[in-house]
Amino acid sequence: MSWIVTGMGAVASIGAGVREIFDSLAAGRSGLGPLRGYDRDRFRARMAYEIDDRPAPGVDVPLRATRWLEQAVAAAVADAGLGDDLSRVPVLVGTTLRELRSVELAWRDGIPFDASDLHFGTMLRRRFGAVDTHTVANACSASLYTMALGADLLDLGEADTVVVAGVDTITESTYGLLDRCYPEAPDRVRPFDRGRRGMLQGEGAAAVVLRREADGPGPGTRIHARLRGVAVNCDAYHPSAPDAKSIATVVQEAHRRSGVRPADIDLVMLHGTGTALNDEAESAALGSVFAGLAPSPYMTAIKSMTGHTAGASGLHSLVAAVDVLRTGIVPPTVYLDDPVAAVAGFRLVRGTAERPRQPLRLAQIDSFGFGGLNAVAIVERVEDPGDTAGHPEGVDL
Amino acid sequence: MRSVRTAHAVITGLGTAVRGLPGPEGLLGPLPADHRRAGDPVSRLTGRGLRYKDRATKLAMVAARDALSAAGLTDEAGGLTVPGESVGVSASTNYGNVDTVCETVRTIAESTYLATSPMMLPATSSNVVASWIAITHGLRGANLTLCNGPTSGLDAVNWARLLIASGRVERMLVVGAEPDNPAVRHVADMPDLAPDGTSGAPDLFDGAVALVVESPESAEARGVRPLAAVGAYARRGGHADAVAKVRALHTGRVGLWCVPEHPEGVCAPAPALGAAAGSVPVHDLSALHGAASGALGVLQCAAAAVWLDGRGGAGDDVVLVSAGIGDVGGDDASAALILTTPDAVVPRLAGSTR
Repeated sequence: MSWIVTGMGAVASIGAGVREIFDSLAAGRSGLGPLRGYDRDRFRARMAYEIDDRPAPGVDVPLRATRWLEQAVAAAVADAGLGDDLSRVPVLVGTTLRELRSVELAWRDGIPFDASDLHFGTMLRRRFGAVDTHTVANACSASLYTMALGADLLDLGEADTVVVAGVDTITESTYGLLDRCYPEAPDRVRPFDRGRRGMLQGEGAAAVVLRREADGPGPGTRIHARLRGVAVNCDAYHPSAPDAKSIATVVQEAHRRSGVRPADIDLVMLHGTGTALNDEAESAALGSVFAGLAPSPYMTAIKSMTGHTAGASGLHSLVAAVDVLRTGIVPPTVYLDDPVAAVAGFRLVRGTAERPRQPLRLAQIDSFGFGGLNAVAIVERVEDPGDTAGHPEGVDL
Repeated sequence: MRSVRTAHAVITGLGTAVRGLPGPEGLLGPLPADHRRAGDPVSRLTGRGLRYKDRATKLAMVAARDALSAAGLTDEAGGLTVPGESVGVSASTNYGNVDTVCETVRTIAESTYLATSPMMLPATSSNVVASWIAITHGLRGANLTLCNGPTSGLDAVNWARLLIASGRVERMLVVGAEPDNPAVRHVADMPDLAPDGTSGAPDLFDGAVALVVESPESAEARGVRPLAAVGAYARRGGHADAVAKVRALHTGRVGLWCVPEHPEGVCAPAPALGAAAGSVPVHDLSALHGAASGALGVLQCAAAAVWLDGRGGAGDDVVLVSAGIGDVGGDDASAALILTTPDAVVPRLAGSTR
C-alpha cells in the first residue's frame, strides 16, 4: 500500500506557510533570534527560534501552539480541497509539550487556562467540527509517529482521508532544563559541526492530508508526494540518550516497508539537532545503513534554520522534503563549518543550497525523540500534472 | 473513522496501582473503607533511579509490572518471555507530568535555571511514563502516549488494537496513570487536597492501571487464556452517537455499562447520555475512585475484563464502556468501546507477524 499527500500547511519561525518556509530554507535564512518570551535574566542561554507573535517582548500569552496548529491544519485542508468541515476526518496531532506553556503561565502567573485546551481536540472541534481527534505526545518524533498511525488507519480501511499534524511551542521549563544540561550555552543549532554546543528549541506547526493512493486525491487536485512507508520503534534504552543500533533498525525497516534499497535514497532529511548525543548516534546509524555507497545520498538538517521544533520537526522536515523533490533544490545545513569526522563520507549540503544535476526521487526523513522514540518516513516525488506551482519563483540561491 | 469488522485483540493480563485496592478484581466494587490508611502502591518499587521519576511514572511502573506478569509476558525473574520488539506501549495520561513542569517553572522564577536539576528534563516531555515502562521491560515496539482529554484512556486501548491489527506489534501494554498533587488540582480546577482522615471515596484518582492487549493468535500460541476481547470503538461529538455506532457493530445484550465521568458527579448517567441506558447495570468508576481523567478508560476496560472473565464465558453479554460526554457537557468528544467474551473472537487467518 502507498499513500499520497494531497495537502500541506506549516508555520515556523522562518515563515508563515509552506512556500515561505521553503524559500527561507533554500536561501539559508535562519529563524534564530534573541529569546523573546521569557525573562532573560533567569537563563544563561539567550537565543531561540521563536515565532514572533507575542504582544510585547517578555510578555507571553497562552494557546500559541493551538493557534499555529489551527493555521497549519487550515492551510493543509484548504490545499487538499477539503473545506473547513473535518467532522468525518480523523486528525492526529503529534506534540512533545502540548499546551504545557499555558499550564506554566496559569500556575505561575495566574493567567486563566482551561484544562480542556491541554489537548488539541477542543480547538479542532470548535474550528473544524473534528471529533475523531488524537493528541499524541510522542516527544520529538511525534509527528512522524502520527504519520505512521495515519497510514495505518487508511491501510485498515478505518478512514479514507486523514489529517496528520505536529505542533510545539517552547516551554520555560524545558528551556531552563536544557540550559542547565549543556556545559556551555548554545549560540545556535549547528548539526554535525565540531563547534556544536547543543540544541536550541524552535516553534511551529505542520500538517498534511493523507489518502490512499488507489483512491486518488479526492476533492483536491494536487498530489504533492507519495508516502512509501513509515517505520516506528522504541530504543527501550535511555530516557534521553539515543541508541544508534535502534536507529539503524528503524531506518532499515522504513526501507523494507517502502520496498527500497539504501542506494535508492536520494536525500536524507537528518534529525540533526546539534547535540553530541544525537549527532553521534544518527551518523553512526546512517554510516552503517548507507555503508559502501559512494557518494552517499544528499543530506541536510533544517533544524539549523528552524531550531528544534520538537513534535512538529518530523513533519517540518517532511514538508520541506516534498519541496526539495519538487524543485530539485536542497537547502543547506547552515553554520556547518567544520564537520565532525563521523560525517566525512556524507554528502552534506553546506553553505548554500545545491541543485543536483540528477533528479531527486526518494527522500528519507529522520525523526527521533526522548524515550528512544524513532520514526522514519520515505517519500517519493510524484509527477503531478495538476501541480501548477512548479518550482518556486525567486528562490535566491 | 469506521469501526472494526472483527476483533483483532484480546486482553490477557491486568495490573493496578491504587491505594487500598488489592488488585484488579477489586475494580468491580468500592474501595475498602480504610483505603486511605493503606500503603502507597509505589512503595512496591525498589532499586535505584526512583528519586527522579515523577509519581505518574512510578504508579504506572507498578501496574505495568503486574499486568506483564499476569499475562505471562515476564518470567519470575522479570525477564521478557517474548522478543522485545514484539511488544509496544500505549500510555494515557493528561496530567502525568504537570507537576514537573510547574515545579520547574517556579524554581526558575525563584532561583533561575541554575537551581533546576537536569535529571528532571525527561519528565518535561509528556511521554515520560511510556518511556520508562519501555526501558524497564525492554519493550521496543511502537510506543505511544495519548494525552487526549476525557476519552484518552479508551483512545489508548483502541490504538493498541489498531497497532496489533496493522501488524506493527503482536502485543501492547496499555497503561493509564494520573497522579494527585497540587499542580494537577490547579490545572484541573479541583479543590485543594483533602486533609488526612477524610472518609469516603477520593475526589481525584491517584493511581495507575495496566492491561496487556494482544492478537488472539499470540495469546493462543503462548497458551494464555484471554480474559476479554476488545471490540468496536468510536469517537464522536455526542455520547449517544458514539454509543450507537459501537452498538450497531455489537448487538449483544449490554450486561454492564462503565459510564463516563459525570459533570455533576452523580452515579447514574443523565438521560441525555442516551442510547443503551435502559435497565443496564451501571458501573461508575469515577464515583468510586475519583475523577480519573486519562486513566478512566483503561480503568473501565480493566473492570470490564474482570467482569467478563468472572462470567466464565457464559452468555453473550457485552460490556459497554464510554468516556467523555461530548456535546452534553462540553467535552470535545465522547468515545465508546465494546468488550466481549474472548469466545466471540474468531482469530484472523493471517499468520503471526514475527
